[in-house]
Amino acid sequence: MDEFEEILEDFLVEAFEMIEQLDNDLIELENSPDDLDLLNRIFRVAHTIKGSSSFLNFDILTHLTHHMEDVLNKARKGELSITPEVMDVVLESTDKMKGLLEHIKETGSDEGAIDVAPTVRRLEAILNGGSAEEPPAAEPEPEPEPAQAEKDLSEMSEEEVEAEIERLLAERQEEDRKRREAKKAAETAGEAPSAEPEEKDLSEMSEEEVEAEIERLLAERQEEDRKRREAKKAAEAEAQKSAPEAKETPKSEAKPAAPAKKETKAPPKERKTTVEQTIRVDVKRLDDLMNLIGELVLGKNRLLKIYDDVEERYEGEQFLEELNQVVSSVSLVTTDLQIAVMKTRMLPIGKVFNKFPRMVRDLSRELHKEIDLIISGEETELDKSIVEEIGDPLVHIIRNSCDHGIEQPQERIEKGKPPKGTVELKAYNEGNHIIIEIVDDGKGLDPDMLKAKAMEKGLINEKEADQMSDKEAYMLIFKPGFSTAAQVTNVSGRGVGMDVVRSNIEKLNGIIEIDSEIDKGTTLKLKIPLTLAIIQSLLVSVQEEYYAIPLASVLETVRITPDEIQSVEGRSVLRLRDEVLSLVHLADLFDVERVFSMGEHAYVVIIGIAETKIGLIVDSLIGQEEVVIKSLGEYLKGIEGIAGATIRGDGRVTLIVDVGALMELAKNVKSSMENLEDRSEKREKSSPADYNVLVVDDSKTDRSIMRKALEPLGVTITEATNGVEALNLMKEGSTSFDAALVDIEMPRMDGYTLAAEIRKFNKFKMVPLIAVTSRTSRSDRMRGVEVGMTEYITKPYTPEYLMNVVARNINLNVEQTS
Amino acid sequence: MNSQLEQVLKKQQNQQHAPQESEIENVVQLVGFMVGDEEFAVPILGIQEIIKPIEYTRAPKTPPYVLGVFNLRGSVLPLIDLRMKFGLSRSKENEDTRYMVIKDNDEVAGFVIDRLTQATRIKESAIDPAPETLNDEQNLIYGVGKQKDKLISILNVKALLKRDF
Repeated sequence: MDEFEEILEDFLVEAFEMIEQLDNDLIELENSPDDLDLLNRIFRVAHTIKGSSSFLNFDILTHLTHHMEDVLNKARKGELSITPEVMDVVLESTDKMKGLLEHIKETGSDEGAIDVAPTVRRLEAILNGGSAEEPPAAEPEPEPEPAQAEKDLSEMSEEEVEAEIERLLAERQEEDRKRREAKKAAETAGEAPSAEPEEKDLSEMSEEEVEAEIERLLAERQEEDRKRREAKKAAEAEAQKSAPEAKETPKSEAKPAAPAKKETKAPPKERKTTVEQTIRVDVKRLDDLMNLIGELVLGKNRLLKIYDDVEERYEGEQFLEELNQVVSSVSLVTTDLQIAVMKTRMLPIGKVFNKFPRMVRDLSRELHKEIDLIISGEETELDKSIVEEIGDPLVHIIRNSCDHGIEQPQERIEKGKPPKGTVELKAYNEGNHIIIEIVDDGKGLDPDMLKAKAMEKGLINEKEADQMSDKEAYMLIFKPGFSTAAQVTNVSGRGVGMDVVRSNIEKLNGIIEIDSEIDKGTTLKLKIPLTLAIIQSLLVSVQEEYYAIPLASVLETVRITPDEIQSVEGRSVLRLRDEVLSLVHLADLFDVERVFSMGEHAYVVIIGIAETKIGLIVDSLIGQEEVVIKSLGEYLKGIEGIAGATIRGDGRVTLIVDVGALMELAKNVKSSMENLEDRSEKREKSSPADYNVLVVDDSKTDRSIMRKALEPLGVTITEATNGVEALNLMKEGSTSFDAALVDIEMPRMDGYTLAAEIRKFNKFKMVPLIAVTSRTSRSDRMRGVEVGMTEYITKPYTPEYLMNVVARNINLNVEQTS
Repeated sequence: MNSQLEQVLKKQQNQQHAPQESEIENVVQLVGFMVGDEEFAVPILGIQEIIKPIEYTRAPKTPPYVLGVFNLRGSVLPLIDLRMKFGLSRSKENEDTRYMVIKDNDEVAGFVIDRLTQATRIKESAIDPAPETLNDEQNLIYGVGKQKDKLISILNVKALLKRDF
């Protein structure tokens, strides 16, 4: 039954898509009941679903859609006007259809799921009530053969196909006869000709033509059947492929007359066929692709950094230009590629917005209000994962606007507003965010009322209420257990509150803003990042470590001097304008080893979530950077205060802090600036041998010359043959060096780079670095100073000179030793 | 260096030419390495790769033996110092130090080892369960492999990758 399942799947996908469309079209129809194109489109959807479901033997679904179709057919002929009551029933039947389809999806059958009888009875009532001059409702649909032709042939045995064709033939003849009769009767009805393009192909054909057409159809079917039998013999993989093909062939071949007309006369239907070509792709594949691109981006970042280094070192060289071209083209393509792949994951937010016209319509009928929903910006695109998450919060918000925002028509008239309220739903891009605004022109939020209510429920106390700004008061509606509705209605009493909205939006790293004016309306603004994988962050450094703080949680940054920090009950606080902020050092939170004391300035990053905020002391601010979030993996998942990691341009990992957890941690940490100096105690140097000097040179001769020159000082000398070795010796920390003599030209890592690397470490900031080189030009000297060399000695030098320079730099008294 | 290499090659050849009976019996391939003064081994199938030390970033709020995280071609992996995990002093990096990237299903982590020794094949029958006294609650030791001249502790990959804090 593989083929059948595949057909069923296709049917379901198609049917769900069509019903979604149907919902919107119906709402639109209610607003413009005379739109025939629209009516035709709706009719066709009902018709197609009926056709396919009858073929698949879903009798209940067929029964329902059949009646629905009849009603629509009547409307489309102008014999029935679309009143809200009629629309209610039609919408009810679409809901039933949805229910049935869901049931089919789960169980593969439509039996026993939903009782459609009442709905069908109502449809019949409309049908009978509305019909006057036309023969009764049982009139067969005008386009039976395409529908039946759609029935898939692959499922039938040859005999069945034969029988089917026989039946079809008989039906057509019967129908044709009927139609001729009907035509005569309906001549007075004055239908618009465009209203029934499909009917034409039959009504205009002579009987012979119809016969010929059926003959042709029959031949085609047999031919197809033969093909299918052949195909069946083929391998299973092929059989699978042939199924969709097979499904398409009858459709396109069996409907030769109708589509020809439709193309010219029914543009809405055409829309379906000209939809841009697409293929369905497993989301996982896109995710994998995205990961690969992520790695490529990191590679690109590294390349750029290396290029910078190379440019510095080989300034003015010929090959730099070429390298530059390659690097920039690679980086350009990578960026484009990244954007392109991100775009493949983007969906228009219209996918979510689509269901709201129907919802608002139902709500307004239920609440006896008049509400207009205006949607704009539905083409705005968002990452798929966000589109999936955003639906529920929006449902709550819109429901809230309709229920609590918009007043009853009577009340609105009294207030001098039009009786019909409007809810506006718009989406637009702003930088790296998408903004969704829900604006209603209802009664607005009353901050005092909100505060009173919150106090009544014990959510805030009086003092808090007094200090609250209006904006903060508006945010109260997001507190769990808060409801402004005076009475619980069917709409608002569903046990899902606005707090769900907030938590969902926050999960997406989004921000909610509310603005409101009493009797003017409320504006709710959701600011959501375009993707979840990339965030804007503020990079800070603490000692030798870097951390990224999500920019969304950063309120502001200030530079302070240590004496601005005050102490209250053993806790550091900062007076900032009118506020007193509690301060905590990031180094205390994360137990960062303090190798270097605080400089003249420190920076305070003020982070906040909802109402609480704290100041985070860091050593310096590196800047704002867009970072790709990587998970820390199973092993380190959920370590306190860390939300994830990212890889920076230099290939190093930087951790992203979890602001919420950080604030929790901060409660238990006592920050004090004093303990900064504790560790900086120095070992007492009693003899010259306690001084360690590092000699870095690739030439053995040079090293021994230096060693000889320093011998009289009696200091301990360690040798390294290149920059990398020297750096490792210093980093390792088993000996702390008091000075280093550095050659410039060395393999692996030259002297300039070494000096720059050493200076990156706070603890080596003060170590004297003495360049010993034969490079004598001014620019070389300048370069040396720039990278942090303390002294610059040019070869050749006298041993005494070298010795004196070293002695001076390590504060060793030469006389003492000699 | 060269003579060492030759020896290793010879050994490998010997192993390849080893009597067929070892094929019949279940043979485990192990990669041996030193941590402190002791030799350990991990089944070769549990090893994703072995790399030279690269830079890592300290991760706060973790036990001391978790050195931090490092970037392995775009993936962020935890780095665990086996010496500290085994209660020894912290490893000093030298040119023999390696990061051994161990993988079990989706769980991957890097482990700092002092030195690689050799890859060996050992019959399953030659592996004894870890002695009671050695078997701590973490179950880190999978068994003890008996070789001609020495014993080798075989580590349990799953237990290594299990978070215990």
